[in-house]
Amino acid sequence: MIGGIGERMTTHTLELKNLTKKIKGKTIVDDLSFSVREGEIFGLLGPNGAGKTTTIRMIVGLISITDGDVLINGDNLRGNFEKAMERVGAIVENPQLYDYMTGYKNLMQYARIMPDVTKERIDEVIELVDLKYAIHDKVKTYSLGMRQRLGVAQALLHRPNVLILDEPTNGLDPQGIYDLRNYLRLLANNGTSVIVSSHMLAEMQMMCDRVAIIQHGKLVRIDEILNQEDETEVKVHFQIEGDVAQAKQVLLNLNEDLNVTESGQELIVQTADVRFIAELNKQLVLAGVLVVGIQRKTKTLEERFLEMTKKGGDLNEVAVPVNK
Amino acid sequence: MKWLSLLTNEWIKIFSRTRTWIFLAIPIVIIIGIAVYDKVTTDVEVNENWKQELTQTVKDDQKALDDAKKNGDNAIYIDSLESAIKQNKYAIANDISPYETTAWQFMKDMAFISSLIGLFVIVVASDIVSNEFAKGTIKMLLIRPYSRWKILLSKFVATLGFAFVMWLVVIVATWLVGGLAYGFGGMDQSYLITADDGQVKERLIVEYVFANIGVEFIELTTLVAMSFMISTLFMSNSVAIGVAMFTLFAGNIIVTLLANKDWVIYTLFANMDLSVLIDGQNQLVKDLTLPFSISVLAVYTAIMLAITFTVFQKRDVKA
Repeated sequence: MIGGIGERMTTHTLELKNLTKKIKGKTIVDDLSFSVREGEIFGLLGPNGAGKTTTIRMIVGLISITDGDVLINGDNLRGNFEKAMERVGAIVENPQLYDYMTGYKNLMQYARIMPDVTKERIDEVIELVDLKYAIHDKVKTYSLGMRQRLGVAQALLHRPNVLILDEPTNGLDPQGIYDLRNYLRLLANNGTSVIVSSHMLAEMQMMCDRVAIIQHGKLVRIDEILNQEDETEVKVHFQIEGDVAQAKQVLLNLNEDLNVTESGQELIVQTADVRFIAELNKQLVLAGVLVVGIQRKTKTLEERFLEMTKKGGDLNEVAVPVNK
Repeated sequence: MKWLSLLTNEWIKIFSRTRTWIFLAIPIVIIIGIAVYDKVTTDVEVNENWKQELTQTVKDDQKALDDAKKNGDNAIYIDSLESAIKQNKYAIANDISPYETTAWQFMKDMAFISSLIGLFVIVVASDIVSNEFAKGTIKMLLIRPYSRWKILLSKFVATLGFAFVMWLVVIVATWLVGGLAYGFGGMDQSYLITADDGQVKERLIVEYVFANIGVEFIELTTLVAMSFMISTLFMSNSVAIGVAMFTLFAGNIIVTLLANKDWVIYTLFANMDLSVLIDGQNQLVKDLTLPFSISVLAVYTAIMLAITFTVFQKRDVKA
């Protein structure tokens, strides 16, 4: 999957090597290996119960590792936990804070025990998550969104170069999600590796550079989310009024090998070439077919994911089957 | 790295909670209340004629003793009457008034407050681990660049520090209240004990007070270790508070019930009240002495801490 990077040297901030977790004989995470590059947003995608949270908990040391290794900035978590965790920031599920203290005192708790957090840095982070107006209020008065933002603030205090967020958009409103996405991109552009887990496909597609699809604790594949469309996966939908079969014949007369399928009142052609699309349109119009709409559609991560897990329908239905 | 910062954090967490201040205030309010009540109700006449009063008490006790012997009553009851009579006679003969209250006498009388402190310390110690699991905040703590044992140690030391500070605050408050109410003198005041050989002896109250301060530190350490272990094992502060309170308060009843068993002296219950041993052996279980009990507590504390740290180190956090 590193092919796209070509000759450039790639620094990996987080590496999982054959990571395995067994609880009472049941394998929750199965021989999982992947590497996260410096400055990328890496997604862990999978249905509920796929092992995303367990994986993340192993990476941050909340759950013991049955087998395999986690390397953070080159330090092995199993041998050198303190060194490995020094530049890690994380929110595991919802950020849980001390209700009986103010937001500022909560941040101080973490500022005190992390290396090199100055008072200026604390103020900077508060500004960043837009909590200045409420930072001296007790956390028990905070809304869920404010808690999330305070959670983000504590994770960023010590300028981590590996930021791990488990289901970060839980409880955020659309504006909050939008802000988070932009902010994570900013961090990544400054060299931070961001690892996010989610079961929300569309969200991952918008947020991540690469996505690892996990099912039954196993890595299914890693996808690059490309800005430019992948040629083979772009389809053009011609909406036709009138006889669709006749229209299809028009296109086949043009090129017998053309991959054309009928779908209701639509003809679907697999191509990304804009000129070719225009040519097809011209031929249809010349043949007297009424084209009322043309649409280019990229295959979404969702479609790929569902294809991958070989089931259709809602993602939640993909979850759980115990045996492959 | 900065382990002391972990300790500071725990300390701040303890004192950020309203209940901590209430715990500190309650014993002080009780002490002031008792001093005021005592001042208002004490009959000065009785204090001045204490020899007559005491002579009457000795007569009554003697009668009760004769009856008890006739009826073949409980040996412990007879013993206690005999020792009371001896002590009172000694007091009359040597002019030692048991009614003369000074700051030090007041401190000796207020020693029972330590059970209350034990109770509050149990609550704080049980909560400091299990509450973080219950609220999920433990996750935010364990993902820091510190080994788990360092985090647990900071919690243990912070709780011990809280217990000791609370105990010292209460001692100083008692001394102040006692001094203001009865005068700050009395360093040379003595009280009477019946030694193991049945002889009545004089002892300085100051000695007792300081011995009591010392043994209370030992008891509190064991209590904290126990609450810690239970709350780490069960991740529930209610279980921890329940078991620790049971050990603290029901201990004496259980020891009384099991007094005839040889092994009772090795149980935690039998050794949790060290203050009764300051004046000699335990009247109930004669084998218990101060050095023995302290050794037993030390062994229990070490074992409980070892279990706590081992379990905590390995626990998978799913909260």
